[in-house]
Amino acid sequence: MSRFLIVTLPLTGHAFRALAVADELSARGHQVAWCGPENYFRPLIGPDATLFPTGTRFFRNQAGHGIAALKSLWQEYVIPIARFMLPSVSRAVRAYQPDIVVVDQHALAGALAAHRHGLPWATLVTQAMELTHPLAALPRVDAWVRAQIASLCRGADVTDPGFDPLFSPYLVIAFTTSALAGEQPFPGHFALVGPAMLERPGEFAWDLLDPARRKVLITVGTLAIGAAADFYQRAAAAVAPLRGTVQAIIAGPPELVPDPPGNVLVVPSVPVLALLPRLDAVISHSGMNTVSEALAHGVPLVLAPIRHDQPVVAAQVVRAGAGIRVPFGRVSPGQLRQALVKVLDDPSYRRAAMGIRDSFAAAGGAAAAAARLENWPHGGAGR
Amino acid sequence: MTADDLAEALATATGDDSLLSAGISAATRLEGDLFLDSLDLVALGALLRDRYGPAVDLVGYVAGLDIDEIIGLTVGEVAGYVNREAR
Repeated sequence: MSRFLIVTLPLTGHAFRALAVADELSARGHQVAWCGPENYFRPLIGPDATLFPTGTRFFRNQAGHGIAALKSLWQEYVIPIARFMLPSVSRAVRAYQPDIVVVDQHALAGALAAHRHGLPWATLVTQAMELTHPLAALPRVDAWVRAQIASLCRGADVTDPGFDPLFSPYLVIAFTTSALAGEQPFPGHFALVGPAMLERPGEFAWDLLDPARRKVLITVGTLAIGAAADFYQRAAAAVAPLRGTVQAIIAGPPELVPDPPGNVLVVPSVPVLALLPRLDAVISHSGMNTVSEALAHGVPLVLAPIRHDQPVVAAQVVRAGAGIRVPFGRVSPGQLRQALVKVLDDPSYRRAAMGIRDSFAAAGGAAAAAARLENWPHGGAGR
Repeated sequence: MTADDLAEALATATGDDSLLSAGISAATRLEGDLFLDSLDLVALGALLRDRYGPAVDLVGYVAGLDIDEIIGLTVGEVAGYVNREAR
């Protein structure tokens, strides 16, 4: 039995991957403790789980797109939250004495604390911004990001030139596969395990679904609600003329689409994993979570990426042939309808999505991640 | 090449005719105002190369910019680059 300390961020796409892996570790008899804001994690992990609270810090300026959004992500969230969390994470590491620290790739405080205490640590790659190094095409932007990270490390008195808080030198677990991320020679300590999935809470009135029509989920995830109203209204207008053959479910506050067409349900939250087996397509902002869950069910996508790694994910899906990309800000209802009809009617998109589904199933997901963690390569785990 | 020429090239490269009536001027920012991303730039770069010759390498030009220059990149700056490099 080993002791694992999980350090992640209070964001759905990050936290739910770690939760799925933690469930697997616990089921195998290991001890798991958490480090993060109590108000976010306590309801997810239950009253009895061990949690070392870090306090809460919000990403206030979650807006914009493109390189400007990337800059604010690093400057106003990833780096400040790492500085903010580091003292708490260091205390947690000392108090809990874990065998292995399991660190979300963008929860840099976990990597710094583990390194400073000489503990082995693993990286959980829960998004697509770093794994395939898409910023290589913009070398001066890449250099700017590296400079932010280097400054953070210096401030934490970590000056080893080989230390990179984004990638553990021991074990990097990425929740994707080469079928999606693209074939490339990853180092031997990289494990591409496919998505680790865990249902989010959400009630759903199943009797509202019409078995005779094809069903489409429309979602921009949990972080983009500010930009959602306009997009959801265009999406509702896009599917309205398809009322004879298509029923759409929009995941979001009903007031965002005040007067939806008859073939559009607007519901505040959906149990995505329960819904996916019944879906024929997903229209999404191209968040890694939504996309990999859809592909794990062989469901093709229309993707309207907004920011951060979303354009990277969309490009991967398009390259794999499992979806079509449209411009989030500019796509008209007519263009969106055209793209949707194409992924619904052209079987090549579903075929490609099923190919990725098969690669995900073979990769093993959360169970494979847990197996890699408990069979720690450097003898750090296990007492 | 003028701002209007670039607006037309953008509409052609992205297949988005709404860009023609978007009131594009030299001061319009590609990312901040037009929501263009790296894939749009690749498409625009290919079209500009076809029209203005192989010396026009938009992707290479953007790769040489720093983070704030990319964020603030305007239609006028791209048109100026094309005019400098075009045969």
